[in-house]
Order: sequence, then C-alpha cells, then structure tokens
Amino acid sequence: MSQIDDFKPSQESGEIARLLSYVALLAASVGLFIEATTIPTSRFEALGAGAFPMLVHACLILLLVTAIIGSLRKLPAAAYGRFGAEAMGWLKARRLVLFLFLCLAVFVAGIPVIGYPVAAFLFLIVLQVTYAPKTRVTIGIAVLLALIFSFGLNWLFAEVFNVFLPRGL
Amino acid sequence: MLGAAQVLSFTTLIMMFFGAIAGIIAAAIPGFTVTMAIVLTLPLTFSMDPLQGISVMLSVYVGGYTGGLISAALLGIPGTPSSVATTFDAFPMARNGEPGRALSLGVWASFFGTLISTAVLIVAAPPLATFAVRLGPWEYFSLIVFALTIVASLVGDSLQRGLIAALIGLAIATIGTDPMMGRPRFDMGLELLAAGLPFLVVLIGIFAISQLASEVEDARAIKTGEKLVSGTIEFKTWAVMREVLMRPVNLIRSSLIGVGIGALPGAGGSIANLVAYDQAKRSSKDPDSFGTGTADGVVASEAGNSATAGGGLIPLISLGIPGSAVDAILMASLMVHGISVGPRLIMDNADLVYGMFLAMAVSSLMMLVICVLSMRLFLRVAEVPKWVVVPVVMVCCVVGSFALNNRVTDLYLLAAVGLLGYGLKALDYPLAPLVLGVILGPIAETNLRRALMTENDWSLFVTRPVSLIFLIAAVASVAWAVRGILRRRKQRKLQKDTA
Repeated sequence: MSQIDDFKPSQESGEIARLLSYVALLAASVGLFIEATTIPTSRFEALGAGAFPMLVHACLILLLVTAIIGSLRKLPAAAYGRFGAEAMGWLKARRLVLFLFLCLAVFVAGIPVIGYPVAAFLFLIVLQVTYAPKTRVTIGIAVLLALIFSFGLNWLFAEVFNVFLPRGL
Repeated sequence: MLGAAQVLSFTTLIMMFFGAIAGIIAAAIPGFTVTMAIVLTLPLTFSMDPLQGISVMLSVYVGGYTGGLISAALLGIPGTPSSVATTFDAFPMARNGEPGRALSLGVWASFFGTLISTAVLIVAAPPLATFAVRLGPWEYFSLIVFALTIVASLVGDSLQRGLIAALIGLAIATIGTDPMMGRPRFDMGLELLAAGLPFLVVLIGIFAISQLASEVEDARAIKTGEKLVSGTIEFKTWAVMREVLMRPVNLIRSSLIGVGIGALPGAGGSIANLVAYDQAKRSSKDPDSFGTGTADGVVASEAGNSATAGGGLIPLISLGIPGSAVDAILMASLMVHGISVGPRLIMDNADLVYGMFLAMAVSSLMMLVICVLSMRLFLRVAEVPKWVVVPVVMVCCVVGSFALNNRVTDLYLLAAVGLLGYGLKALDYPLAPLVLGVILGPIAETNLRRALMTENDWSLFVTRPVSLIFLIAAVASVAWAVRGILRRRKQRKLQKDTA
C-alpha cells in the first residue's frame, strides 16, 4: 500500500478544505469587483475597461456564495474538530511535494542572483539526490544530468539559439 | 508542376525532414512552442528559394502540431496549448499501460487530420476565407460564448466547481493591461502583473508544475525508483492505424472543426482541440468513457489541432491575413523573398501556392515516418524513473517560461501558478475549464467591447444571422449538457435505491 493510501482524509475534511477555498476566492473576488468599479470608462466606448471584469466577478461571487451555503448545509458540526489533525496528516504525507515547491521557489528566486547555470545545477542535484534511491550509480547519474541541464542547456541556448539565460549579479 | 518539382527535390526534402524533427522536438518539450521553433527557423531560410524556405517552415509547423502529443500522452503535460485536450484521454491511456497505443493513435489522427485539412485547403480556400473575414465582432463574441459552453463537458464530477474554475480562468485573463484601451487593471502596482499573466506561463504552471508535483506525492514509491509507466510497453502502430480509420465520422468531423476554427483569424489549435473533443464526447454513445483513456478522445483532439495547420493557411493564402502568430511568421518569410501576400497571391504565384499545398501533405507524411520510426525512443521516456523526470522537466519548464519573454518575473508567476494549480487539483477543481477561461477571456472581452464600440446596440448579437446561429448552438449545447447531467444523476439515484 502506498503512503498516500495510508492517509486519506475523510470526505468531510475535504469539504471543509473546499469551503475554505470558496471563502478565500470570495474575498479575492469581492475585492477585485470593488476595484473594477473604480476603473474609469473611456468616452469612446459603451463598456469600460472595468465592465468585463465586473461581469466575471459578479458571476463568480454568485457561484461562490451558492457553494458556501451548500457546503455549510452538508457539514456536521463535529467535522470541524477533526479538520486540523487531518489537514496536518495530509500535509505530512505530501512532504516531498512541499519540498519540491520550496526548492522551486528558492531556484527561481536564486536565478537573478547566482545565475541560471549555478541555480539549476543546485536545484537538480538537491532534488534528484533527495528523491533517488541512494546508490553510487544514481548519484553519478544525478550529477551528470545536473551538469547537462544547467551548464549544458545554458551553452545550447546562448550558442545555438542566441537566447541568453540570466547570468546573475 | 514547377512547384511540385521544387518541393520534391532531394535538397528540399532533406531540409523538410530536419524541419519536421525540430518541430516535433520543440513542441514535445513543455514551455517550448511551435512559434519559437518557427522563429528560430526563419533566419535559416533567408538564403533558400522562396518555396524551399516556406516548405521547411511548413514542416516545422506540421511537426510542431504533433510534437505536443508526446508530453501530453507520456507526462500528462500539454507540450503546446493545442494539445490540452490530448491529455484528457492519452495520458490515462498511457498510465493504464498503453503508452504506445496512446502515441500511435495521436500520430495517426494528426496525419489524417493534416491530410484532410490540406484537401479542404485546396478545394475551399477562397470561399471559406471570404466567409471568415466577413465575420464581425458580434459573430466572434457569439462564437466564444459557444466555445465557453464546452466547460460543461470538462467539469468532471462537479458542475459547480467546473464553472468556478472557468470563471477563475476568465478572471486571471483580466489581470494586466486592458486589451482595448491599454488601461492598467488589477496590477497592484507590481511590475510582475503589469503586462498581464502570459497565457503560456499559466498553462505550464497549471498543467506541468501541478502534474509534476503530483508525481512525487508518494514518497515511498519515488524512493524505490518508480517509473512513469509500469509493465511492458507494447507498440502496434499498424493495428492502431486501423483503429483510427474505424472512426471515420469522428476523424472527419474533428478535422473539419479544426479547419473551420483554424480559418478564423485569432482562433486556432488551442480552441480547435477542445471543441473537437467536446463534440466527440457529445456525439458518443458512451460519453462517460471520455477522460478515462478512450481512443475517440485522442483521435478527436489530435485530428482537430492538426487540421488547424491547413485551416490557418486559408485566410493567409486567399486574403493575406495571418490567422495566428505562426501564420504571421510564414507570411513574413514570403515577404522577405519579395512575394506580396494578398488576394492576388494565388493568381500571380500559382506554382508557389500549389507547392505549399504539396509541402503540407509531404510534411505530414514526414511527421508520420519520423514519429513511427522514433516512437520506441519516445516511449523510453515512460521508462525513466520519476526522480529523474520530475526535476529535469521542471527545469525545462523554467527555461521555456523564461525564453517566452526573457523576463525573470515570469518565473515567479510560474511557481505561484503551479502552486495554485496543485492546490486546485488537490481540492478536486477541474483544471481544463480554468485554462479554457484564460484562452477565451481576452478574445471574448475584446470582441464584446469592439462590437459595442462599433454600434451601441445589443440586439445586433441576435439579429445578425451567423451570430444568432452561434448563440442558438450555445443554448442547445448547454441544454444538452444539463440533460446529460440530470440523466446521470437519475441513474446514480436508481443504482443507490436498488443497492
């Protein structure tokens, strides 16, 4: 059995997570709707730059309110108590995904500072070594691939396509 | 005959062969597009004869429309926007242990789709082009409304979450400069958002990054060197060819949809594959099988997107109007050689135009040969362990996203949109309607506002015949989808009651 199958949150916790997403989206949508009303309309057109976004956000708000009411009606009060523990379990089971996004964030933030080749090399080495079965062969393959897709790709883009990837400060 | 002789010369054929390979490889890598491959090819054609140069570019074009299939089927990541719908069935089919069948179906459907579009191009280019350019913003807006009804087919388990996803896509498309007056919108004073969210970065983030993240969910499996597809990979291309030909209605309908949408300036493969998939699902006797790895879904999507290659040439050849960025580059390459593009092109340069038609057909044949010969090599991707594929493809996505506009800020967007995509996927929101919203949003807004700027009269949307036809089709499409949903609900209730 896989690790993901070991931990499956209840349907109720899934519904609570969705409910939270509806609330977050509703807050964003209401904010953007209000901002859209402040966009001035040009005298040359019947609909201004804010009209289409207002239409979209109005529909979104309507749908989200319906979804929130539907979720609240479905959920028993006891479900909220279990949510915290189940959400933590869900996140723990996906620790490699969280690590992936963390590495991606550091990688893209590091590109303008240390340049593409070094940032990509480090990103590839760290991720591959973390994910791969630990043997000498896999480490060797990881280093080779990291070199090819960092310094090699940088060379290919610069010399063949005339596209210069960031070199860093 | 002169044109045919030039296209079929040994030198041209060799160059076209390499062009098709370049197109396939470029489109197979997420983040790299057919447009980028064609732009890079353009300077290489300056020293060639006009027909030789355009033939090479057409081979890149045709190869590119098929290349997107490879990553769509094997990784679940659309290599190009035109292969979004291909992921719906080709990827589940590959994961069910049939990656060879998924790729072969797509390649054969692309081949036949391109051939059908070339035949339509030869026969119907002038009348179709005249019709396409007569359409005003009212018809375009109504067409987009019709295209948006596709959402009903892509929603998966929940219509509500599908609609929310589509509206999120439309909302994302409104960020940045307003398409009509250039007014800034929702940029929060950030340079990052000022130019809007580039569609391809959103596509890569939503589909590629979230899919790659899903691949590493199972820590135990990945650390034991799990591959993308387990089991023996079978490859029976001739049997699959028969399988494709056994679906003549789907093949022809999807190809004609591709030609029709390709002929409309501003539309293209990214819409055609979704519309063709939607129509195949609606007319299927077993619509529930779509999305689980059915052959009909792969055939519809790939025939639909490949046929837009021929469709896009219709307004270009007949009227000198490029229908897409790629067509504009093709047009530029003709102009570089001193050939004026416009309604007289076919009269003044008949050899060139008929040579282009032949080059399209030859390119599709080359694409087929290359794909069939190299299929086993592509299928090896499915045997690479996930610990190699995930980081390497992610780096390719980052490089591709940067190369689109040479902007580091696009990389921050990529990471943010990837996280959003993964979160939405984990919460059971369908991602395809979101992408559809991002594609169609700017076209819908531009045409709605243009229509009302031309004449401030809403009734024109229903009094102009073609616009009315599209709107009636949209209403019928929604009614059909609602009927299907209600019927499925009733069936489930009956099953529950009997259980």
